[in-house]
Amino acid sequence: MKSRIWISCLLLCLCDEITFLLGAGTVRREPISEAGQVNEDTRLLKDFSDRVQAYVKLHKRLEASLPPLKPTPDPAKIVSHQQALAKKIQAARQDAKPGSIFTPDITERFLRLIRNEFQGPNASHARATLRQGEPVKIRLGVNAGYPKGVPLTTVPPTLLLNLPRLPPEVEYRIVDHELILRDIKANLIVDIIPKAIP
Amino acid sequence: MRRFILFVPFIALTWSGWVSPALSPPPKSVPTLSAESQELFLPLRPNSVRFAVMGDNGTGHRKQYEVAQQMVGYRQKFPFEFVLMLGDNIYGPDTPLGFHKKFERPYKALLDGGVKFYAALGNHDDPNQCFYKGFNMNGRKYYAYTKGNCRFFALDSNYMDPEQLEWLEKELRNAGSAWKICYFHHPLYSSGRHGSATDLRTLLEPLFLKYGVNVVFSGHEHLYERIKPQKGIYYFTSGAAGHSRRGDIRKTGLTAAGYDQDLSFMLVEITGDELYFLSISRIGKTVDSGVIQRRVTSHVSELSGQLWLAAPIPDLPKRQIRKVEALH
Repeated sequence: MKSRIWISCLLLCLCDEITFLLGAGTVRREPISEAGQVNEDTRLLKDFSDRVQAYVKLHKRLEASLPPLKPTPDPAKIVSHQQALAKKIQAARQDAKPGSIFTPDITERFLRLIRNEFQGPNASHARATLRQGEPVKIRLGVNAGYPKGVPLTTVPPTLLLNLPRLPPEVEYRIVDHELILRDIKANLIVDIIPKAIP
Repeated sequence: MRRFILFVPFIALTWSGWVSPALSPPPKSVPTLSAESQELFLPLRPNSVRFAVMGDNGTGHRKQYEVAQQMVGYRQKFPFEFVLMLGDNIYGPDTPLGFHKKFERPYKALLDGGVKFYAALGNHDDPNQCFYKGFNMNGRKYYAYTKGNCRFFALDSNYMDPEQLEWLEKELRNAGSAWKICYFHHPLYSSGRHGSATDLRTLLEPLFLKYGVNVVFSGHEHLYERIKPQKGIYYFTSGAAGHSRRGDIRKTGLTAAGYDQDLSFMLVEITGDELYFLSISRIGKTVDSGVIQRRVTSHVSELSGQLWLAAPIPDLPKRQIRKVEALH
Protein backbone atom coordinates (compact mmCIF):
# COMPACT_ATOMS: atom_id res chain seq x y z
CA MET A 1 0.00 0.00 0.00
CA LYS A 2 2.82 2.32 1.03
CA SER A 3 4.66 1.70 -2.23
CA ARG A 4 1.50 2.51 -4.25
CA ILE A 5 1.25 5.86 -2.49
CA TRP A 6 4.89 6.56 -3.29
CA ILE A 7 4.43 5.65 -6.94
CA SER A 8 1.34 7.87 -7.15
CA CYS A 9 3.29 10.76 -5.63
CA LEU A 10 6.14 10.23 -8.05
CA LEU A 11 3.82 10.15 -11.05
CA LEU A 12 2.13 13.34 -9.84
CA CYS A 13 5.49 15.10 -9.53
CA LEU A 14 6.53 13.85 -12.94
CA CYS A 15 3.33 15.17 -14.52
CA ASP A 16 3.89 18.49 -12.81
CA GLU A 17 7.44 18.70 -14.17
CA ILE A 18 6.31 17.75 -17.68
CA THR A 19 3.57 20.42 -17.58
CA PHE A 20 6.15 22.98 -16.42
CA LEU A 21 8.63 22.05 -19.12
CA LEU A 22 5.99 22.12 -21.83
CA GLY A 23 4.85 25.46 -20.54
CA ALA A 24 8.38 26.79 -20.63
CA GLY A 25 8.72 25.49 -24.14
CA THR A 26 5.53 27.26 -25.13
CA VAL A 27 6.80 30.50 -23.63
CA ARG A 28 10.07 30.22 -25.57
CA ARG A 29 8.23 29.66 -28.82
CA GLU A 30 6.15 32.80 -28.48
CA PRO A 31 7.05 35.39 -31.13
CA ILE A 32 9.76 37.72 -29.94
CA SER A 33 9.12 41.43 -30.31
CA GLU A 34 11.38 43.43 -32.63
CA ALA A 35 13.33 44.90 -29.72
CA GLY A 36 13.52 41.48 -28.14
CA GLN A 37 14.83 40.01 -31.38
CA VAL A 38 17.51 42.68 -31.55
CA ASN A 39 18.56 41.91 -27.97
CA GLU A 40 18.55 38.20 -28.72
CA ASP A 41 20.63 38.73 -31.86
CA THR A 42 23.10 40.90 -29.97
CA ARG A 43 23.39 38.25 -27.28
CA LEU A 44 23.94 35.50 -29.82
CA LEU A 45 26.46 37.54 -31.75
CA LYS A 46 28.41 38.23 -28.57
CA ASP A 47 28.23 34.58 -27.59
CA PHE A 48 29.53 33.57 -31.02
CA SER A 49 32.24 36.21 -30.95
CA ASP A 50 33.35 35.12 -27.45
CA ARG A 51 33.58 31.50 -28.54
CA VAL A 52 35.57 32.38 -31.66
CA GLN A 53 37.85 34.65 -29.62
CA ALA A 54 38.45 31.86 -27.13
CA TYR A 55 39.48 29.60 -30.00
CA VAL A 56 41.73 32.26 -31.50
CA LYS A 57 43.34 32.83 -28.09
CA LEU A 58 44.17 29.13 -27.96
CA HIS A 59 45.47 29.26 -31.55
CA LYS A 60 47.72 32.21 -30.74
CA ARG A 61 49.01 30.69 -27.51
CA LEU A 62 49.92 27.44 -29.21
CA GLU A 63 51.41 29.17 -32.25
CA ALA A 64 53.58 31.32 -29.97
CA SER A 65 55.33 28.14 -28.85
CA LEU A 66 56.44 27.47 -32.44
CA PRO A 67 59.10 29.30 -34.45
CA PRO A 68 57.25 32.22 -36.07
CA LEU A 69 56.14 31.70 -39.67
CA LYS A 70 57.58 34.45 -41.83
CA PRO A 71 57.74 34.68 -45.61
CA THR A 72 60.23 32.03 -46.66
CA PRO A 73 61.65 30.66 -49.89
CA ASP A 74 61.43 27.18 -48.39
CA PRO A 75 57.93 25.65 -48.77
CA ALA A 76 58.91 22.89 -46.33
CA LYS A 77 58.95 25.47 -43.53
CA ILE A 78 55.38 26.52 -44.35
CA VAL A 79 54.19 22.92 -44.43
CA SER A 80 55.93 21.97 -41.20
CA HIS A 81 54.57 25.05 -39.41
CA GLN A 82 51.06 24.15 -40.53
CA GLN A 83 51.41 20.55 -39.41
CA ALA A 84 52.98 21.44 -36.04
CA LEU A 85 50.29 24.01 -35.29
CA ALA A 86 47.54 21.60 -36.33
CA LYS A 87 48.93 18.89 -34.05
CA LYS A 88 49.06 21.21 -31.07
CA ILE A 89 45.53 22.48 -31.61
CA GLN A 90 44.17 18.99 -32.19
CA ALA A 91 45.76 17.82 -28.95
CA ALA A 92 44.41 20.79 -27.02
CA ARG A 93 40.91 20.29 -28.46
CA GLN A 94 40.80 16.53 -28.53
CA ASP A 95 37.34 16.54 -26.96
CA ALA A 96 35.98 19.14 -29.38
CA LYS A 97 32.58 18.22 -30.75
CA PRO A 98 30.29 19.82 -33.33
CA GLY A 99 28.46 22.71 -31.71
CA SER A 100 31.24 24.00 -29.49
CA ILE A 101 31.14 27.27 -31.40
CA PHE A 102 28.01 26.90 -33.50
CA THR A 103 25.74 26.19 -30.53
CA PRO A 104 22.10 25.32 -31.33
CA ASP A 105 21.02 28.94 -30.77
CA ILE A 106 23.87 30.36 -32.84
CA THR A 107 23.24 27.75 -35.54
CA GLU A 108 19.59 28.78 -35.72
CA ARG A 109 20.62 32.41 -36.21
CA PHE A 110 23.16 31.46 -38.88
CA LEU A 111 20.59 29.35 -40.71
CA ARG A 112 18.27 32.33 -40.80
CA LEU A 113 21.02 34.55 -42.27
CA ILE A 114 21.97 31.94 -44.83
CA ARG A 115 18.33 31.31 -45.77
CA ASN A 116 17.86 35.05 -46.34
CA GLU A 117 20.79 35.02 -48.74
CA PHE A 118 19.74 31.92 -50.65
CA GLN A 119 16.08 32.86 -50.87
CA GLY A 120 16.52 36.58 -51.39
CA PRO A 121 17.03 38.63 -54.55
CA ASN A 122 20.69 37.65 -54.70
CA ALA A 123 20.06 33.92 -54.51
CA SER A 124 20.90 33.07 -58.11
CA HIS A 125 24.22 34.94 -57.93
CA ALA A 126 25.12 33.24 -54.65
CA ARG A 127 24.32 29.80 -56.04
CA ALA A 128 26.31 30.57 -59.18
CA THR A 129 29.30 31.45 -57.00
CA LEU A 130 29.11 28.05 -55.33
CA ARG A 131 28.89 26.29 -58.67
CA GLN A 132 31.78 28.27 -60.13
CA GLY A 133 33.96 27.40 -57.15
CA GLU A 134 34.10 23.76 -58.25
CA PRO A 135 32.13 22.38 -55.28
CA VAL A 136 33.33 19.22 -53.58
CA LYS A 137 31.57 16.51 -51.59
CA ILE A 138 33.73 15.30 -48.76
CA ARG A 139 33.16 14.16 -45.20
CA LEU A 140 34.56 16.58 -42.69
CA GLY A 141 35.05 16.24 -38.97
CA VAL A 142 35.51 18.82 -36.25
CA ASN A 143 39.17 19.18 -35.24
CA ALA A 144 40.20 17.25 -38.36
CA GLY A 145 42.26 18.70 -41.18
CA TYR A 146 40.69 20.02 -44.36
CA PRO A 147 41.77 17.45 -46.99
CA LYS A 148 44.97 18.55 -48.70
CA GLY A 149 44.74 19.29 -52.38
CA VAL A 150 40.94 19.63 -52.34
CA PRO A 151 39.85 23.02 -53.67
CA LEU A 152 38.36 25.49 -51.25
CA THR A 153 34.89 26.44 -52.38
CA THR A 154 34.48 30.14 -53.00
CA VAL A 155 32.15 31.70 -50.47
CA PRO A 156 29.54 34.04 -52.01
CA PRO A 157 30.81 37.49 -51.10
CA THR A 158 27.33 38.85 -50.50
CA LEU A 159 26.83 36.08 -47.92
CA LEU A 160 30.08 37.09 -46.23
CA LEU A 161 28.69 40.61 -45.93
CA ASN A 162 25.83 39.27 -43.82
CA LEU A 163 27.65 36.78 -41.61
CA PRO A 164 29.37 37.92 -38.41
CA ARG A 165 32.91 39.10 -39.03
CA LEU A 166 35.78 36.86 -38.05
CA PRO A 167 39.33 37.46 -36.83
CA PRO A 168 42.00 36.80 -39.50
CA GLU A 169 42.94 33.40 -38.07
CA VAL A 170 39.67 31.76 -39.14
CA GLU A 171 37.31 31.83 -42.09
CA TYR A 172 33.96 30.50 -43.26
CA ARG A 173 33.89 27.94 -46.03
CA ILE A 174 31.09 26.00 -47.66
CA VAL A 175 31.56 22.32 -48.39
CA ASP A 176 28.61 20.73 -50.14
CA HIS A 177 25.73 21.87 -47.89
CA GLU A 178 27.80 22.45 -44.79
CA LEU A 179 29.12 25.72 -43.45
CA ILE A 180 32.47 25.24 -41.81
CA LEU A 181 34.62 27.43 -39.64
CA ARG A 182 38.20 26.79 -40.73
CA ASP A 183 41.51 27.63 -39.10
CA ILE A 184 43.51 29.02 -42.03
CA LYS A 185 47.08 28.55 -40.82
CA ALA A 186 46.48 25.15 -39.22
CA ASN A 187 44.10 23.99 -41.98
CA LEU A 188 41.72 22.59 -39.36
CA ILE A 189 37.95 22.37 -39.19
CA VAL A 190 37.02 24.28 -36.05
CA ASP A 191 33.27 23.66 -36.22
CA ILE A 192 30.53 22.74 -38.67
CA ILE A 193 26.90 23.61 -39.31
CA PRO A 194 25.51 20.62 -41.20
CA LYS A 195 22.91 21.21 -43.91
CA ALA A 196 23.39 24.95 -43.65
CA ILE A 197 23.05 25.67 -47.36
CA PRO A 198 19.53 25.04 -48.64
CA MET B 1 68.15 35.13 -89.29
CA ARG B 2 64.72 36.58 -89.65
CA ARG B 3 64.11 40.15 -88.86
CA PHE B 4 60.96 41.41 -87.42
CA ILE B 5 59.87 44.94 -87.27
CA LEU B 6 58.51 46.13 -83.98
CA PHE B 7 56.03 48.64 -85.02
CA VAL B 8 52.80 49.53 -83.33
CA PRO B 9 50.92 52.33 -84.99
CA PHE B 10 48.02 53.28 -82.85
CA ILE B 11 44.77 54.42 -84.33
CA ALA B 12 42.46 56.07 -81.90
CA LEU B 13 38.81 55.23 -82.10
CA THR B 14 35.95 57.45 -81.24
CA TRP B 15 34.12 56.73 -78.04
CA SER B 16 30.42 57.05 -78.42
CA GLY B 17 30.78 60.54 -79.76
CA TRP B 18 32.30 61.90 -76.54
CA VAL B 19 35.83 62.10 -77.81
CA SER B 20 36.88 63.43 -81.14
CA PRO B 21 39.04 61.07 -83.20
CA ALA B 22 42.76 61.59 -82.88
CA LEU B 23 45.83 59.84 -84.16
CA SER B 24 48.55 58.75 -81.81
CA PRO B 25 52.09 59.65 -82.74
CA PRO B 26 53.96 56.92 -84.60
CA PRO B 27 56.83 55.25 -82.74
CA LYS B 28 60.05 57.23 -83.01
CA SER B 29 62.34 54.26 -83.32
CA VAL B 30 61.88 50.99 -85.16
CA PRO B 31 64.04 48.41 -83.37
CA THR B 32 64.72 45.09 -84.99
CA LEU B 33 65.11 41.79 -83.21
CA SER B 34 65.90 38.28 -84.14
CA ALA B 35 63.46 35.49 -83.52
CA GLU B 36 62.80 31.95 -84.57
CA SER B 37 59.17 30.99 -84.28
CA GLN B 38 58.19 33.94 -82.18
CA GLU B 39 56.86 37.23 -83.37
CA LEU B 40 56.62 40.30 -81.25
CA PHE B 41 54.56 43.40 -81.70
CA LEU B 42 55.36 45.55 -78.72
CA PRO B 43 56.89 49.02 -78.78
CA LEU B 44 59.70 48.42 -76.24
CA ARG B 45 59.73 52.04 -75.23
CA PRO B 46 62.31 53.21 -72.71
CA ASN B 47 61.19 53.10 -69.04
CA SER B 48 57.98 51.31 -69.91
CA VAL B 49 56.39 48.88 -67.43
CA ARG B 50 56.75 45.37 -68.86
CA PHE B 51 55.19 42.26 -67.45
CA ALA B 52 53.74 38.87 -68.27
CA VAL B 53 50.38 37.51 -67.16
CA MET B 54 49.54 33.87 -66.55
CA GLY B 55 46.79 32.01 -64.77
CA ASP B 56 46.00 28.48 -63.64
CA ASN B 57 49.56 27.49 -64.36
CA GLY B 58 50.47 25.14 -61.50
CA THR B 59 49.78 21.74 -63.01
CA GLY B 60 53.33 20.48 -63.38
CA HIS B 61 52.37 18.99 -66.74
CA ARG B 62 54.58 19.03 -69.81
CA LYS B 63 52.48 21.77 -71.42
CA GLN B 64 53.04 24.10 -68.48
CA TYR B 65 56.76 23.70 -69.06
CA GLU B 66 56.30 24.46 -72.75
CA VAL B 67 54.47 27.68 -71.95
CA ALA B 68 57.23 28.55 -69.50
CA GLN B 69 59.77 27.97 -72.27
CA GLN B 70 57.91 30.37 -74.53
CA MET B 71 57.98 32.96 -71.76
CA VAL B 72 61.73 32.50 -71.41
CA GLY B 73 62.16 32.87 -75.17
CA TYR B 74 60.03 35.99 -75.36
CA ARG B 75 61.89 37.56 -72.48
CA GLN B 76 65.01 37.69 -74.61
CA LYS B 77 63.18 40.06 -76.93
CA PHE B 78 60.82 41.64 -74.46
CA PRO B 79 62.64 41.82 -71.12
CA PHE B 80 59.67 41.83 -68.78
CA GLU B 81 60.46 42.37 -65.12
CA PHE B 82 57.62 40.63 -63.37
CA VAL B 83 54.74 38.22 -63.81
CA LEU B 84 51.16 38.47 -62.56
CA MET B 85 49.90 35.07 -61.38
CA LEU B 86 46.13 34.86 -61.54
CA GLY B 87 45.62 31.97 -59.14
CA ASP B 88 45.67 28.17 -59.09
CA ASN B 89 49.38 28.54 -58.65
CA ILE B 90 49.86 25.03 -57.28
CA TYR B 91 47.26 22.37 -58.06
CA GLY B 92 47.08 19.51 -55.59
CA PRO B 93 48.63 19.48 -52.14
CA ASP B 94 51.13 22.21 -51.25
CA THR B 95 54.11 19.93 -50.69
CA PRO B 96 57.69 21.12 -51.14
CA LEU B 97 57.88 18.80 -54.15
CA GLY B 98 54.76 20.40 -55.58
CA PHE B 99 56.29 23.89 -55.32
CA HIS B 100 59.41 22.59 -57.00
CA LYS B 101 57.68 20.74 -59.84
CA LYS B 102 54.93 23.26 -60.49
CA PHE B 103 56.73 26.54 -59.95
CA GLU B 104 60.44 26.55 -59.22
CA ARG B 105 61.48 24.19 -62.00
CA PRO B 106 59.33 25.40 -64.90
CA TYR B 107 60.15 29.06 -64.24
CA LYS B 108 63.76 28.53 -63.11
CA ALA B 109 65.26 30.52 -65.96
CA LEU B 110 62.94 33.45 -65.23
CA LEU B 111 63.57 33.27 -61.48
CA ASP B 112 67.32 33.09 -62.07
CA GLY B 113 66.97 36.10 -64.37
CA GLY B 114 65.50 38.15 -61.54
CA VAL B 115 61.88 38.07 -62.68
CA LYS B 116 59.49 38.54 -59.78
CA PHE B 117 56.20 36.67 -59.57
CA TYR B 118 53.27 38.36 -57.83
CA ALA B 119 50.58 35.81 -57.08
CA ALA B 120 46.87 36.00 -56.41
CA LEU B 121 45.15 33.02 -54.79
CA GLY B 122 42.91 30.65 -56.74
CA ASN B 123 40.38 28.15 -55.45
CA HIS B 124 42.98 25.38 -55.72
CA ASP B 125 45.48 27.30 -53.61
CA ASP B 126 46.10 26.95 -49.90
CA PRO B 127 46.02 30.50 -48.48
CA ASN B 128 49.29 29.70 -46.67
CA GLN B 129 50.97 30.16 -50.06
CA CYS B 130 51.09 33.82 -49.07
CA PHE B 131 54.12 32.92 -46.91
CA TYR B 132 56.04 31.55 -49.88
CA LYS B 133 58.63 34.14 -50.89
CA GLY B 134 58.54 33.10 -54.54
CA PHE B 135 55.02 34.52 -54.79
CA ASN B 136 55.93 37.90 -53.22
CA MET B 137 52.72 38.10 -51.20
CA ASN B 138 54.58 38.95 -48.01
CA GLY B 139 52.21 36.96 -45.81
CA ARG B 140 49.09 38.71 -47.13
CA LYS B 141 46.23 37.15 -49.07
CA TYR B 142 45.62 40.47 -50.86
CA TYR B 143 48.05 43.30 -51.39
CA ALA B 144 49.05 46.19 -53.63
CA TYR B 145 52.29 47.41 -55.18
CA THR B 146 53.52 50.03 -57.60
CA LYS B 147 55.55 49.67 -60.78
CA GLY B 148 56.30 52.86 -62.67
CA ASN B 149 53.05 54.73 -63.21
CA CYS B 150 50.92 51.67 -62.39
CA ARG B 151 49.38 50.51 -59.16
CA PHE B 152 48.61 46.80 -59.03
CA PHE B 153 46.03 45.25 -56.71
CA ALA B 154 46.20 41.49 -56.17
CA LEU B 155 42.89 40.36 -54.65
CA ASP B 156 41.65 37.15 -53.06
CA SER B 157 38.42 36.49 -54.95
CA ASN B 158 37.87 33.19 -53.13
CA TYR B 159 37.06 35.05 -49.97
CA MET B 160 35.94 38.61 -50.60
CA ASP B 161 34.98 39.51 -47.04
CA PRO B 162 34.08 43.00 -45.81
CA GLU B 163 37.61 43.53 -44.48
CA GLN B 164 39.09 43.02 -47.94
CA LEU B 165 36.51 45.29 -49.55
CA GLU B 166 37.27 48.03 -47.05
CA TRP B 167 40.99 47.58 -47.64
CA LEU B 168 40.50 47.74 -51.41
CA GLU B 169 38.42 50.90 -51.25
CA LYS B 170 41.02 52.60 -49.07
CA GLU B 171 43.86 51.49 -51.34
CA LEU B 172 42.07 52.58 -54.50
CA ARG B 173 41.14 55.92 -52.98
CA ASN B 174 44.73 56.61 -52.01
CA ALA B 175 46.33 55.26 -55.19
CA GLY B 176 47.91 58.14 -56.99
CA SER B 177 49.13 56.17 -59.99
CA ALA B 178 47.92 56.84 -63.49
CA TRP B 179 47.04 53.20 -64.12
CA LYS B 180 45.06 51.07 -61.70
CA ILE B 181 45.19 47.38 -62.50
CA CYS B 182 43.36 44.74 -60.47
CA TYR B 183 43.87 41.02 -60.76
CA PHE B 184 42.28 38.04 -59.08
CA HIS B 185 41.18 34.53 -59.88
CA HIS B 186 37.46 34.65 -60.75
CA PRO B 187 36.50 36.70 -63.83
CA LEU B 188 33.70 39.23 -63.41
CA TYR B 189 32.81 38.75 -67.07
CA SER B 190 33.40 35.47 -68.85
CA SER B 191 32.14 33.33 -71.69
CA GLY B 192 33.81 30.23 -70.30
CA ARG B 193 32.23 27.18 -68.69
CA HIS B 194 32.12 28.76 -65.23
CA GLY B 195 30.63 31.99 -66.48
CA SER B 196 30.78 35.46 -64.97
CA ALA B 197 31.25 35.83 -61.22
CA THR B 198 28.19 38.02 -60.88
CA ASP B 199 28.02 37.96 -57.08
CA LEU B 200 31.58 39.23 -56.89
CA ARG B 201 30.82 41.73 -59.61
CA THR B 202 28.03 43.37 -57.60
CA LEU B 203 30.61 44.30 -54.97
CA LEU B 204 33.75 44.99 -56.98
CA GLU B 205 32.48 46.75 -60.09
CA PRO B 206 31.11 49.80 -58.24
CA LEU B 207 34.52 50.28 -56.61
CA PHE B 208 36.32 49.84 -59.92
CA LEU B 209 34.10 52.48 -61.52
CA LYS B 210 34.23 54.86 -58.58
CA TYR B 211 38.02 54.85 -58.37
CA GLY B 212 38.87 54.50 -62.04
CA VAL B 213 40.28 51.00 -62.34
CA ASN B 214 41.52 50.65 -65.89
CA VAL B 215 42.22 47.00 -66.54
CA VAL B 216 41.32 43.74 -64.79
CA PHE B 217 43.02 40.36 -65.27
CA SER B 218 41.51 37.06 -64.12
CA GLY B 219 41.99 33.34 -64.57
CA HIS B 220 39.83 30.36 -63.48
CA GLU B 221 38.65 29.67 -67.02
CA HIS B 222 41.28 27.68 -68.90
CA LEU B 223 41.27 29.90 -71.96
CA TYR B 224 42.10 33.38 -73.15
CA GLU B 225 39.35 35.95 -73.50
CA ARG B 226 39.32 39.67 -74.01
CA ILE B 227 35.97 41.06 -73.01
CA LYS B 228 34.35 43.95 -74.80
CA PRO B 229 34.88 46.99 -72.56
CA GLN B 230 32.36 46.96 -69.73
CA LYS B 231 31.44 50.43 -68.46
CA GLY B 232 34.81 51.63 -69.68
CA ILE B 233 36.88 48.90 -68.04
CA TYR B 234 38.90 46.30 -69.96
CA TYR B 235 38.69 42.72 -68.70
CA PHE B 236 41.03 39.91 -69.69
CA THR B 237 40.84 36.25 -68.74
CA SER B 238 44.15 34.43 -69.08
CA GLY B 239 43.78 31.12 -67.29
CA ALA B 240 45.48 28.72 -69.65
CA ALA B 241 49.13 28.69 -68.63
CA GLY B 242 48.86 25.18 -67.15
CA HIS B 243 46.23 23.54 -69.28
CA SER B 244 43.45 24.50 -71.65
CA ARG B 245 39.94 23.36 -72.46
CA ARG B 246 39.17 23.34 -76.15
CA GLY B 247 35.85 24.75 -77.20
CA ASP B 248 35.12 26.31 -73.82
CA ILE B 249 34.31 29.78 -75.10
CA ARG B 250 30.54 30.03 -75.45
CA LYS B 251 28.74 32.65 -77.50
CA THR B 252 27.76 35.28 -74.97
CA GLY B 253 28.19 38.57 -76.75
CA LEU B 254 30.86 39.50 -74.24
CA THR B 255 33.87 38.35 -76.26
CA ALA B 256 35.99 40.85 -78.12
CA ALA B 257 38.62 38.19 -78.79
CA GLY B 258 39.17 34.71 -77.52
CA TYR B 259 41.35 31.65 -77.83
CA ASP B 260 40.59 28.22 -76.41
CA GLN B 261 42.54 25.93 -78.73
CA ASP B 262 45.73 25.70 -76.71
CA LEU B 263 47.53 27.03 -73.66
CA SER B 264 48.47 30.70 -73.55
CA PHE B 265 49.92 33.60 -71.56
CA MET B 266 50.10 37.35 -72.02
CA LEU B 267 52.74 40.02 -72.40
CA VAL B 268 51.91 43.61 -71.48
CA GLU B 269 53.77 46.86 -71.89
CA ILE B 270 52.56 50.12 -70.39
CA THR B 271 54.09 53.32 -71.55
CA GLY B 272 52.54 56.65 -70.66
CA ASP B 273 48.83 56.41 -71.36
CA GLU B 274 49.08 53.35 -73.58
CA LEU B 275 48.83 49.69 -72.65
CA TYR B 276 49.98 47.22 -75.30
CA PHE B 277 49.08 43.58 -74.93
CA LEU B 278 49.80 40.30 -76.65
CA SER B 279 48.30 36.91 -75.97
CA ILE B 280 50.63 34.13 -77.02
CA SER B 281 49.91 30.45 -77.42
CA ARG B 282 52.01 27.52 -76.19
CA ILE B 283 53.66 27.23 -79.59
CA GLY B 284 54.50 30.92 -79.77
CA LYS B 285 51.71 32.22 -81.97
CA THR B 286 50.18 35.58 -81.22
CA VAL B 287 46.47 34.93 -80.80
CA ASP B 288 45.39 38.44 -79.84
CA SER B 289 47.03 41.80 -79.58
CA GLY B 290 46.09 45.39 -79.22
CA VAL B 291 46.59 48.64 -77.46
CA ILE B 292 44.44 50.38 -74.92
CA GLN B 293 44.59 54.10 -74.57
CA ARG B 294 44.07 55.66 -71.20
CA ARG B 295 42.35 58.96 -71.79
CA VAL B 296 41.71 61.60 -69.21
CA THR B 297 38.99 63.98 -70.23
CA SER B 298 37.25 66.63 -68.26
CA HIS B 299 33.74 66.05 -69.50
CA VAL B 300 33.15 62.45 -68.56
CA SER B 301 33.22 62.58 -64.81
CA GLU B 302 30.61 59.83 -64.65
CA LEU B 303 33.35 57.44 -65.74
CA SER B 304 35.82 58.62 -63.13
CA GLY B 305 37.33 61.03 -65.59
CA GLN B 306 38.78 58.33 -67.80
CA LEU B 307 37.86 57.05 -71.17
CA TRP B 308 39.19 54.12 -73.02
CA LEU B 309 39.94 53.43 -76.61
CA ALA B 310 41.14 50.14 -77.94
CA ALA B 311 42.33 49.11 -81.33
CA PRO B 312 43.87 45.92 -82.62
CA ILE B 313 47.41 46.28 -83.82
CA PRO B 314 46.93 46.63 -87.57
CA ASP B 315 50.15 44.90 -88.57
CA LEU B 316 49.12 41.57 -87.09
CA PRO B 317 49.08 38.90 -89.80
CA LYS B 318 45.57 37.74 -90.62
CA ARG B 319 46.28 34.08 -89.91
CA GLN B 320 46.99 35.01 -86.32
CA ILE B 321 43.71 36.70 -85.72
CA ARG B 322 41.53 34.16 -87.47
CA LYS B 323 40.30 32.72 -84.21
CA VAL B 324 39.60 36.16 -82.88
CA GLU B 325 37.48 37.02 -85.89
CA ALA B 326 35.62 33.74 -85.70
CA LEU B 327 34.53 34.57 -82.22
CA HIS B 328 33.28 38.04 -82.92
